[in-house]
Amino acid sequence: MSSKIKHRLVVSPSSDLQEGQRLLIEVNGSEIGIIRAEGKCYAFRNACPHQGVQMIYGSVTGTMLPSDPHQYVYGQHNEIIRCPLHGWEFNLQTGKAVFSPSVSMIKYDVQEEDGSIVLYLDKSPERVVRKSFHCVL
Amino acid sequence: MAAKNEQHDIIDCDVHPVLTDFNELIPYLDESIQQYMNIGKFSKGALDKQNSGSFRFPASNYANPLPVPLRADAFTPAGGLPGSDPQFLAKDLFDRLGTKYGILNIGHGTMSAFHNVEVAAKYTSAVNDWLYEKWVKSDTRYRMTMEVTPLDPELAVKEIERIGKRPEIVGINMHCVNIPLGKRHYWPIYEIAEAYNLPIMLHPDTEGTGEYAAQFGVGPASTYMEWHTSLGLIGQRNVISLVCDGVFERFPNLRVNFLEYGFSWVAAVMWRMDKNWKALRHEVPWVKRLPSEYIRSNIRFGTQPIEEPNRPKDLVELIQMIQAEDLLLFCSDYPHWDGDELDRAFLHFPEDLKRKIYYENPLRSFRFGEAGERS
Repeated sequence: MSSKIKHRLVVSPSSDLQEGQRLLIEVNGSEIGIIRAEGKCYAFRNACPHQGVQMIYGSVTGTMLPSDPHQYVYGQHNEIIRCPLHGWEFNLQTGKAVFSPSVSMIKYDVQEEDGSIVLYLDKSPERVVRKSFHCVL
Repeated sequence: MAAKNEQHDIIDCDVHPVLTDFNELIPYLDESIQQYMNIGKFSKGALDKQNSGSFRFPASNYANPLPVPLRADAFTPAGGLPGSDPQFLAKDLFDRLGTKYGILNIGHGTMSAFHNVEVAAKYTSAVNDWLYEKWVKSDTRYRMTMEVTPLDPELAVKEIERIGKRPEIVGINMHCVNIPLGKRHYWPIYEIAEAYNLPIMLHPDTEGTGEYAAQFGVGPASTYMEWHTSLGLIGQRNVISLVCDGVFERFPNLRVNFLEYGFSWVAAVMWRMDKNWKALRHEVPWVKRLPSEYIRSNIRFGTQPIEEPNRPKDLVELIQMIQAEDLLLFCSDYPHWDGDELDRAFLHFPEDLKRKIYYENPLRSFRFGEAGERS
């Protein structure tokens, strides 16, 4: 755990983020996507570490687990978000790319507290803007 | 003519013996195949010239247009074809360069894509025996790859069981047909190759020739030049197939040596495959490492025909760029027209890289230890 002081930001009522829904906010100029999958909330920088494409449009999926040649084994259902451009897979919990633990999308600490979605940020949230987007997923 | 190399041990991974007359194979072929091939007492005489009147060996569809399609300085003193005399070849090539071992790869692989697999398999066995008896036994520096019939893995395995433990056999010359190398079709061959510690070796021959030949993606080449230049495409396709079908996960100790398909394209294949794997890994979940890592650990490439950029040192930079120092195998391709002279082809290579290419890499990649053991 980081010893740094975290700054609490109430984003929205929990009811604004139903299963499979997404939120997008801008905090101090950085966009943060928040999604709910299998009941859990995840928050991440709205930019893929590869070429910067907006992760808020990423598909939430499972994936094929490492296996013997020519054997398909499905797993991690709804634990993966894929970049909407090249399809890179990131673990929603850790932010790490499935293909390499040394590649990650930036994750944020998000909690549900008393019916609200709450972010804990390293820097004080001076400018917060709720942003609109159009995701058909 | 190249001066004798004094600095490095040399293993030449691609030396070609020439069969001057199919009748040389008669001692190694049973009568059924002699009859099928119309050789020896089964010759059809004048009918040989009739269209479909007698057996026609599946010679390459692409004739080399040069006046002398072999190196013209390698005819034997008696006027024999270059590559036809074991004693002369050893003197002309090995003595001249100081070669420690030369690996003989027979050059009639067009039979691998022939429509009658039974005949191809018996022909292949005969060629292996001819090569062993006539060539390998003639000089302690000779080693050989043994041919197999890629269209029939069961027969290929039997051939490997028959002769694959001979210590002079250092690899399996499989030839390229129209089944990509990663397919499970070949896995029985890979299984015994790994068990016998023999690398699979691929060398152009049958591409574009024979009913089961591999083609060049978009269609036949128009000329020999087009054919020869396009061989790298076959190499790329098979490297991609081996990695994506998980061959090296199933057979982690298998080595595959691509000779004469070039190697500068390896950079592009590595980069593209690695990039695609990051996105499409879930389609090949058995590929557990970066594709380029499998190439580096399990695949090797012959140096000949050396690629010649305008600035020769660019080739060294490319090798360093993709960490290919351990992937390259020296090949002279003697006595073919497109062979490389050791002292010129590697003029700009640093000495430590020469040492790897000339000796250390071939020593590790072909079987130079005990049969069935890692060298």
